[in-house]
Amino acid sequence: MTARARRASVVATRLSNGLTVILREMRQAPVVSVWCWYRVGSRDERPGFTGISHWVEHMNFKGTRRIPKDEVTRRVELAGGTWNGYTWLDVTTYYETVQSDAFDEMLRLEASRMTECVYSTTEVERERNVVISELQGGENDPRSFLEKEVTGTALQAHPYRWPTIGYLSDLRVITRDDLYAHYRRYYVPNNAILIAAGDFESRTALRLVRRHFGKIRRGEDAPPVRTIEPAQRGERRLTIRRPSGAVYLDLAMHAPAAADPEFAAFLVADGVLAGGPTVNVWSGQDGRGPSKSSRLYRALIEGNLAGQVSTQIVPTRHPYLYRVAVTANEGVEPGRIEEALSEEFERLARGDIAERDLERAKTQFLARHALESESTTDAAHQLGFFETVASHRLFFDLPRRVEAVTAADVAAFARRRFDRDQRTVGVLRPSGPLTAPAGPAGHGVTRS
Amino acid sequence: MSAVARTRLDNGVVLIARPNRAAKSVAIQMVFEAGAAFDPASKAGTAALVAGLLDRGAGTLSAAEIAATFDDLGIAYGAGAGRDSLEITLRLLSEHLPGVLERLRLIVSEPTFPEAEIGREKGRLLTAIAERDQNTAAVAEMAVQATLYPSGHPYRSPRLGSRDSVQRIERSDLTAFHKSHLRPSGAIVSMAGDFDPARAIGLAANIFGAWNGGPGQSARRAVRTPEAASDRAARPPIPDPPAPGRMISVVRPIAGKTQADIALGFRGLARRSPDLPAVLVLDSILGEFSLGGRLGKAIRERAGLAYYAYSHVTAGLGVGPFVARAGVAPERVRRALELMRGTIAQVVRRGVSPSELRDSKQALSAAVPRRMETNPDAAEILADAEFYGLGIDYPRHLPELIRAVTRSQVEEAARKYLTLKSCVLVVAGPAMDKETLA
Repeated sequence: MTARARRASVVATRLSNGLTVILREMRQAPVVSVWCWYRVGSRDERPGFTGISHWVEHMNFKGTRRIPKDEVTRRVELAGGTWNGYTWLDVTTYYETVQSDAFDEMLRLEASRMTECVYSTTEVERERNVVISELQGGENDPRSFLEKEVTGTALQAHPYRWPTIGYLSDLRVITRDDLYAHYRRYYVPNNAILIAAGDFESRTALRLVRRHFGKIRRGEDAPPVRTIEPAQRGERRLTIRRPSGAVYLDLAMHAPAAADPEFAAFLVADGVLAGGPTVNVWSGQDGRGPSKSSRLYRALIEGNLAGQVSTQIVPTRHPYLYRVAVTANEGVEPGRIEEALSEEFERLARGDIAERDLERAKTQFLARHALESESTTDAAHQLGFFETVASHRLFFDLPRRVEAVTAADVAAFARRRFDRDQRTVGVLRPSGPLTAPAGPAGHGVTRS
Repeated sequence: MSAVARTRLDNGVVLIARPNRAAKSVAIQMVFEAGAAFDPASKAGTAALVAGLLDRGAGTLSAAEIAATFDDLGIAYGAGAGRDSLEITLRLLSEHLPGVLERLRLIVSEPTFPEAEIGREKGRLLTAIAERDQNTAAVAEMAVQATLYPSGHPYRSPRLGSRDSVQRIERSDLTAFHKSHLRPSGAIVSMAGDFDPARAIGLAANIFGAWNGGPGQSARRAVRTPEAASDRAARPPIPDPPAPGRMISVVRPIAGKTQADIALGFRGLARRSPDLPAVLVLDSILGEFSLGGRLGKAIRERAGLAYYAYSHVTAGLGVGPFVARAGVAPERVRRALELMRGTIAQVVRRGVSPSELRDSKQALSAAVPRRMETNPDAAEILADAEFYGLGIDYPRHLPELIRAVTRSQVEEAARKYLTLKSCVLVVAGPAMDKETLA
């Protein structure tokens, strides 16, 4: 298959206050998706203040000086829209996908959110509990608990090591003024990217963007992250005991940043192992397992070692992690799974990659790259996400880069990155008092 | 909205094609009336196993050969069993449509169910069940079902089954289920994407027209409108569950959890109920609009008790549950429950305001075109309308149906469905004393 990433008509510019604006006309439906991105995430935090970026995101749904609290989401919904926001390692973002006649109103909403959110003490205290509840809900899931522990072990210096939700201790003490200061420091036009994709004419759209954002004053540039994760010099292991329904294995290795020339070989290596990877962290992580002709599927699932296996690539600004997460079959020792994974990594490093494996991995990647940027919401997400971590041009350039990858590139990548000394291996085993099985019958029923 | 083509073949297969030239891709959704509700008695999980095994050997092709044809072309394949239906989804670049339809027909009509694959798929299902039984949200929702529906009711058992029920399933159960439920009559092939609709229908007609799964042993049921519903095998309708008669409280302790999931479940309605538009508006006001309607406002926004608090309605072939949900720390369960019950009682007693009625109607009706934007969404929504016999124009009519809902209809629906004196209350999570629920 040839690269069919049809170079979409994209208008990219920067306003005099430093706001990056990227517009993509898509006339497939009478909708428009507006995303406002800020180059701030958990990487910009420090101990004592972990989780602050995410909490700020929550506060920014609580009304602005011109838009009362309930109106922020109400207006989107009245326009038949859907909305959300998220915070992660490198980014904080907000979006609305609405009927296209509400485009102007969504721009007004995002401009207001950038400059004049209200941080009342009452709302801060309410939201403290909401965020802590979000953290506790996440800890209910043994897999995400293990993932968090493995990340904190694999990375020892770079701020990607702590969870975006933050540590409970920090969430208990962060103050209203801490939150507001974080908001004012990072929510400036020169640290932001405004994306729109959908049913509009670019010139008109740019005029609207200028009207709403053009007068916002530039702020100080955000300080860069300076720490570089030191090279790992030996395998790290951890075992966690928690109540759970299965044994989980989580294996992490150091990965290149999105803009690194190695990133394309990384995508193909993952493609050979698990099937075409997604580079859409918003809608691509749909829990789809490895493709059924991939090596990990054959080795672990068809080998009767595991019920589930998934790999994760996150395009990031700084080097992050490559992760393989496995749910062991009942009675299978995680050591056997680890050995099967090692064998697959070594096969790659030896250069045992047939032409068909390579072609299949590339074809799958190219198909996902296209399918996962079809909707206005996905298209706008991908432009903004890549602009935040590298450049929106990288997103369009990935198919070309992936097609140029050779088997030798993949083998070299595997030798550098999948070495045992570069790994962190986490295992979560069921523990604790055995609970009665939560069967379907009227077990444990009390009547009041 | 683009023109949608629909044809019913002589063997009963319904073909739907919605063109969308914006991207060179196609999404396919194939649907059978073969969900978990049709699992044989004491063998819950059969539909889920059948769905997982369709592509693990079909005709003369092995699992590896089928996987290779999809993977070589970058095609995404998925299959699963819901409550009512078994569904297969495919996403592909449009040039591959003919080959993919051929493969799809083979998979649904001639799966071979090899023993080795059955053993493996059962193992995976058992692991998924063990994980589910440790998941507070899943346990809460299962307990609502197990309490709301009487023994033997098709909606009572969990969708994936239980450890015992899955172990009881044998190969002959799978082949029998396939034979009686995955038949041309009533099957739906819904396609959306980059094609000429007449050509796509012609192509699919050639491929699926020759499929003769036979009408099955049982007689057709009396013809009902619209035609799609009448095509399916005769089966007794899914019975309405009896009203619980009181508030039944259920506690499901799960060790090692930091948060509890609360579910307050009511007897809801079937998809074809004339009450549906009013109930959708009611659900939006109670627990969906903006940050989770009145429930979200009371529990998350005002009290700061939870990350999520919302409601949802599941309306299927039979009467599904109408559930209010929240996830809270164990020490806040009591307070959250008070707010949940208070919020619901208020809607029932005092009704809804003209402005929230207007907002929810506007949001629900204006969202319809956006929901149809992508090919997978369009294929799914059209298949769904066909499956429930609502007609292919349903997505076009839905906004009118919503706009026609009156305040008194919503208030009547609240009194009829949100019956606090006859419902199921479940708390699943860290161990807590019974007074919490008193």
